[in-house]
Amino acid sequence: MSDSTPVTAADQEVLITRIFDVPREQVFKAWTDPDEVAAWYGPEHMDVPREKVRIDLRVGGRWEVTMVRPGGGAEFAISYEILELVEPELIVMRSDPMPEAGMHEPTVVRVELHDHGAKTRMTLSDGPYPPAGRGDAEAGYNAALEKLATRLGR
Amino acid sequence: MLSDQLSLTFAALADPTRRAILTRLAEGEATVNELAEPFPISKPAISRHLKVLEHAGLIIRSRQAQWRPSRMQADPLDDAVEWMQSRKRTWEARIDRLDAHLRHKGEQRE
Repeated sequence: MSDSTPVTAADQEVLITRIFDVPREQVFKAWTDPDEVAAWYGPEHMDVPREKVRIDLRVGGRWEVTMVRPGGGAEFAISYEILELVEPELIVMRSDPMPEAGMHEPTVVRVELHDHGAKTRMTLSDGPYPPAGRGDAEAGYNAALEKLATRLGR
Repeated sequence: MLSDQLSLTFAALADPTRRAILTRLAEGEATVNELAEPFPISKPAISRHLKVLEHAGLIIRSRQAQWRPSRMQADPLDDAVEWMQSRKRTWEARIDRLDAHLRHKGEQRE
């Protein structure tokens, strides 16, 4: 796998790079083994019950997680379709739209795991934000540009 | 003159790398080195992007300090930037927990 990320990857995308002190097989497993995903995914104040993680690990398969507030109550499901899968170096997934969370368009999460021996460099991109189609994000972006234009017009 | 300024601004925002630089600067001022870090392009290329942003009035670069930190200068862009930032914060927090999880497993094995 190439180490270079195209410049266009910065286009309306969240880009994060992180080094982990473990070989990439372990990082890959953390993303693809339901036991592991349940252990780390989800915000601090919510649990990801093991039985609510469903991963059909193949191209075209589903990657689904439901986060649950401890003590019952709110649930929040996130689901993806697996678009690309190369063990232990690449996972590409497309989100299902979540209109209730203001996400009307799918985004694509791309997780690349680069081999640095005992360490792993992970690059994660998520986007596009704002999406190419209609959506809250694009509306926000356009509103910001309009405000900027108005300010400059003064 | 006004339309020239508008053209400058929108041209500056049309480039994905420059939007990403603005996103970074929304967190606080940064030097060319810091700004260049996440990008697979050279520091001179980043410097050229900064010149365009500065020319368009979207950033201010310190004249005093030798390393000339850049500062974002476009309050109206906050809405757009905040959206990106919130997504980034979500992922950063998630990856912090992934890191802690991997460390914890490493300790268990030792």
